[in-house]
Amino acid sequence: MQFDRRMFLGYTANGLSGIALAALLHREGLLATDKSPQPPQIDPAAPFAARPPHFESKAKNVLMIFCSGACSQIDTFDYKPELIQRHGEPMPGGGDVVTFQGKQGNLTKSPWEFKPRGQCGKMISELVPMIGELADDLCFIHSLTGKTNTHGPGENFMSTGFTLDGFPSVGAWVAWALGTESQDLPSYVAIPDPRGTPQASVNNWGCGFLPAAYQGTDFNASNPLRNLVRPPNVLPATDEATRDFVQRMNRRHLAEFPGDSELAARISSYELAARMQLSVPEVTDLSTETAATLKMYGADDSENKLKASYARNCILARRLVEKGVRFVQLFNGAYQTGGEGVSNWDGHKQLQEQYSKHGPVFDQPTAALLRDLKQRGLLKDTLVVWCTEFGRMPTFQAGASGRDHNPAGFTAWLAGAGVKAPFTYGATDEFGYKAIENIATVYDFHATILHLLGIDHERLTYYHNGIQRRLTDVHGQVLVDVLA
Amino acid sequence: MLSMFLGLQSSVVAQMVDWTREVLPILQTHCIACHGPDTQESKLRLDTMTEALRGGDSGEPVIVPGDSYRSYLVERISSTDPKLRMPPDSDPLSEKEQSLLKAWIDAPLLWTEAKDALSKTATTHWSFQPVVRPRVLDPIDTKSIDTKSIDAFIAAKLRETGLTMSQQAEKRRLIRRLFLVMHGLPPTQQQIDHFLADPRPEAWNDLVDLVLNSPRYGERWAMHWLDIVRFGETDGFETNRERPNAFPFRDWVIAAFNSDKPYDQFVKQQIAGDALGEPIGTGFLVAGPNDIVKGQDPLLGLMQRQDELTDMVNTTGTAFLGLTTGCARCHNHKFDPISQSDFYALQAVFSGVEHAVRELPLSQDASRRRTEIDAEIESARKDLLPYTRQRGTRVAVNAKENLEDFPSTEAKFIRFTISATNAAEPCIDELQVFSDNQNVALASNGASVRSSGDFEHPLHKLEHINDGQFGNARSWISNVRSGGWVEIQLPKTYRVERIVWSRDRPGNFSDRLATDYRIETSLDGDNWKQVASSSDRIPFGDGKKEMQYDFSGLSEAELKAAKSSLERIPLLEKEKAAILQNARAYVGSFKQPKPTYRLHRGDPTSSREQVAPGAIASLGQLQLDSTSPEQQRRLAIANWIASSDNPLTARVMVNRLWQFHFGIGIVDTPSDFGANGTLPSHPELLDWLASEFMECGWSLKHMHRLILTSMTWQQDSRPRNEAIQKDSTSRLLWRFPPRRLEAEGIRDCILTASGKLDLRTGGPGFSAFEVELENVRHYFPKKDYGPADWRRMVYMTKVRQEKDSIFGVFDCPDGSQVTPKRSRSTTPLQALNLLNSRFVMQQADFLVERIERERGSMDERIRLAYELCFGRTVTDSELAEAIAFVAEYGWQSFARAMLNTNEFIFIP
Repeated sequence: MQFDRRMFLGYTANGLSGIALAALLHREGLLATDKSPQPPQIDPAAPFAARPPHFESKAKNVLMIFCSGACSQIDTFDYKPELIQRHGEPMPGGGDVVTFQGKQGNLTKSPWEFKPRGQCGKMISELVPMIGELADDLCFIHSLTGKTNTHGPGENFMSTGFTLDGFPSVGAWVAWALGTESQDLPSYVAIPDPRGTPQASVNNWGCGFLPAAYQGTDFNASNPLRNLVRPPNVLPATDEATRDFVQRMNRRHLAEFPGDSELAARISSYELAARMQLSVPEVTDLSTETAATLKMYGADDSENKLKASYARNCILARRLVEKGVRFVQLFNGAYQTGGEGVSNWDGHKQLQEQYSKHGPVFDQPTAALLRDLKQRGLLKDTLVVWCTEFGRMPTFQAGASGRDHNPAGFTAWLAGAGVKAPFTYGATDEFGYKAIENIATVYDFHATILHLLGIDHERLTYYHNGIQRRLTDVHGQVLVDVLA
Repeated sequence: MLSMFLGLQSSVVAQMVDWTREVLPILQTHCIACHGPDTQESKLRLDTMTEALRGGDSGEPVIVPGDSYRSYLVERISSTDPKLRMPPDSDPLSEKEQSLLKAWIDAPLLWTEAKDALSKTATTHWSFQPVVRPRVLDPIDTKSIDTKSIDAFIAAKLRETGLTMSQQAEKRRLIRRLFLVMHGLPPTQQQIDHFLADPRPEAWNDLVDLVLNSPRYGERWAMHWLDIVRFGETDGFETNRERPNAFPFRDWVIAAFNSDKPYDQFVKQQIAGDALGEPIGTGFLVAGPNDIVKGQDPLLGLMQRQDELTDMVNTTGTAFLGLTTGCARCHNHKFDPISQSDFYALQAVFSGVEHAVRELPLSQDASRRRTEIDAEIESARKDLLPYTRQRGTRVAVNAKENLEDFPSTEAKFIRFTISATNAAEPCIDELQVFSDNQNVALASNGASVRSSGDFEHPLHKLEHINDGQFGNARSWISNVRSGGWVEIQLPKTYRVERIVWSRDRPGNFSDRLATDYRIETSLDGDNWKQVASSSDRIPFGDGKKEMQYDFSGLSEAELKAAKSSLERIPLLEKEKAAILQNARAYVGSFKQPKPTYRLHRGDPTSSREQVAPGAIASLGQLQLDSTSPEQQRRLAIANWIASSDNPLTARVMVNRLWQFHFGIGIVDTPSDFGANGTLPSHPELLDWLASEFMECGWSLKHMHRLILTSMTWQQDSRPRNEAIQKDSTSRLLWRFPPRRLEAEGIRDCILTASGKLDLRTGGPGFSAFEVELENVRHYFPKKDYGPADWRRMVYMTKVRQEKDSIFGVFDCPDGSQVTPKRSRSTTPLQALNLLNSRFVMQQADFLVERIERERGSMDERIRLAYELCFGRTVTDSELAEAIAFVAEYGWQSFARAMLNTNEFIFIP
């Protein structure tokens, strides 16, 4: 359900106590009448200090898992018996549909079987069985719709709310709004896939026009943060002495400009840098993880090196969440090392063959990450988001064995703090082509994520180029139904 | 009653309804609660006819006098969709009410008064008022009245707050500040010594002149302009391909600043330089990102084109006018008097502009050399003729580009006849016919085309052959395998000198290549003359060139001569290709556009009425209509913007200058002078500067001189307690606000200190990346740096999205969006990059080498390092501390520390 004024009037007319509802919504910040900008107050000398949200919330931080290349809803989470029945027939009314790469062939069921999972019995495919086991913890949104059917703009849209380049990512907005609880790690970390970066690359964690302090810092378990460690020929004691020497010179210089916050901020940034030199290697060092943990994630899989590598990224993600990093963005799939379908979810031509490789890489480590967060009590204040740039067609492309792009209806899921689960919101048509029930936009999705963090998406604004810019542009309704 | 005066037009009058008695009551019942004097949802008021005619936010014409069918009001009250129908959540208007409202709208004469009233509503917003030179408030000195004026305005404002200016800064600080602000580089020790030793009062003015006359000035200030116009050297979006021909625009901007090109010309040449003898200027139009991934989905193509045009309209608005015109793409501007129709009128001005490389006229030297090369090739071929084994000495045809050179000839018709291909029906993506190095075969030039028959396919059309666009998706294919012909009719007779054709210029396809062909020209379309053919080419698919010649039986001298001719030809051809390549730049191409329509909510699939090219109606009119030639449209808007009557252009630019000098503008939303921008802190000063700017002939250097020689600029920068409490941001300028250098300045200063800075100007940039040449480009930060990387950062190829791995985090924008003001953040990653990166460590080593080379003793070396890094003498206590540090940790650590200090990267 999307909430708007008209619906509110509808509720009251139907006898539900308008006052009770209004009180409820007020507390949740959903009916705030004051929509004036309320950007965070930032002390320039402490740009990463934790800052209060607009209203109280359960979720304090976010783990966003992004399957790059457009992961097919048809073959994972969006079960369509009608599609199975009518496998091989032309899609009714689909004759003239021209998608990104061209004309459509016939309706094609998923090569993977769907089975009921969890207590709730949610139908989920054999491609992701271990994630399926967690169905009771997941809140599916099956009715997402996008604005573009090209990957770059699509990833921009999912990660920044705009199809164009140059806008701040969700993580940057959140880091800017809330700062971070961890004073010796970056507030926002992006963990690229072991195979490389996604199609829209650094845009996915860019800061756009927000200050550079809020862009995602990218590193993963196999590629350390650039320039983190002291230069190769410099001894630790020398390194420390050099930094002390810099700070002495800086303090002397500051004495000439007493009270200059920019100079003071630069002095403290060197202190944080020094702390990061200790804390980042510590957090990326997985040697303290038990054999049982490594096994649960699949990080010990010697047969499937890629899976082991992605699993290590998953463990890193958990460790970052544990340390209080505000926003962690974990990627599965990269364009860089193979492109279309080979190293990402872009299964145009040989879907079965390609997804048979991607599924096992993704499934166990991701499921383990969720389990691990839960068993450590981290899901209580962490919001987990799984998403992809858009969906795929229920048909195979004419003359090919794969699915073309489809932004008209696709799936994402949420889990953790503040999220209703098990739950399914919205639906696509009988084939999984177009969203038809509770149609939701990416703006709604973003508004909901911010809301779960206690942020009113309409009030988190940053003035740029004539406009008080928002993550959600001028759109977005919180999906009230998915809130716990 | 109106109808009494209009009694003669009885047929109209008979249908006229009465506003007060009949219409207003309906509106009051159903509409005015939300669209009236108290509440104006979507900014729409319906309580007076003028307001109704003005319309609301949506940009839809609420009332079209005389045409109820096209009136949005009628559409909304009569909609069958309950979500759209007005009034919301209640019953629709009765049929009688609806027909009354329709009748009211359908009587055009009823609206005369409202129309009149609407056109007279002048905008009252401050920046739309004419620039009036204010009286100088308090002339202190008569000698150099101008700079004193700046000081008078600043001092007066400070007085209101009970503040005063700081005293003049020390000379050593002043000269360092001057060079860092104006060049982004520190002064040399010699310049410092000279200035400190010069007691003359004119010493400062001389130094200002020196700085303004240096080419370093243009390099520094071009950086600001390139930010404002979102200049980048890759396409952005997912492929992010390189634009190797984009750099000439960067050089053009640098040269414009250095030569002090009057700003009004600078503006005009960026919008319509092709008409003004400055073709590179139009690089401005296409400096932004461009999505080159064109799918099969026609809607996607429309959206992409709409995004390109919005980018041009938006950047033109923000850069020159300080108006966020892009906001009106989907609805009337929320704050400024820019209607949605204005947006599409502006779009119609630019709708013939395409992202493309354009051929430029050859320079005199280049043109002469090309003629020489042609003659040399000709003579080398002649030398080889006796030894030719088979037919053909010319290079074999290829799919990417084929040149046909011939003695220039008068022609109106050009026919290309194909009699064989390497496979399937022949395909040509573009056929270019050059006269005076300009392609005259373009449809946009008025040329027409016909053929023997066309293969029918959406990607392959006859019109593609001369549309100025390359690639398989913009090509022509003949309908028969055996060949066919295509014929171009030029708009008039030209002296034609060269033809260039290709199968697929980007090089993705090489089938369907014409291997056997002839080219003929004609003056009348009946009598043909062959000017080129495949007969003198090396046959397609043949191997080595030597095989074409038979050198047997030659004497050694003869053999040597023949071989030398043979080797010379490819070298000459390469040189010629380079000359032609240099005469190409990413400055856009132009064609006569199709009509522009207003788009409902900015959606390319919902076009509404046609819109003629024009300016922002509330600010001015252009004498254009939908048939106006493309170039004339841009010229008209350029002249309108760069006019002294335009209240915005000068104000916006002097404010930018002010911002770049003081870190914050008089208006601190530099690209938004609309109602949502901030008010000027010193409105009179802004107008005084703007009027001075126009009166001096739009000279930027003159304005710099005024600012630099003011006391305001020369104040000390140290904080004063009593002042910081009243004005913590120094907005009122009780001191010169100190601040960190931008990314470019930091990098350039490091290279200057180490002595490695390479001051070569212009030309292709250097790359910060190793590029993986896939379909989607991947940029990996370089790991090793050499002399090629030691140029000024303005010459670093501007890659979108991927910022320089070290200096990018110093808030360096990537050209994806316009950046009128950079943020200035302080982060631990900046510290890590300056402390640990290979680049900085290498430069620290060079700094050590330098001080060791230039000085003997430890004291002297430390002294020199202080001069090189901070432009000052080391104090005794600093010296003692440094000696102790170096003794224990060595020179490298000392140099590394110096490059990391606040003093090194702050403008004092």
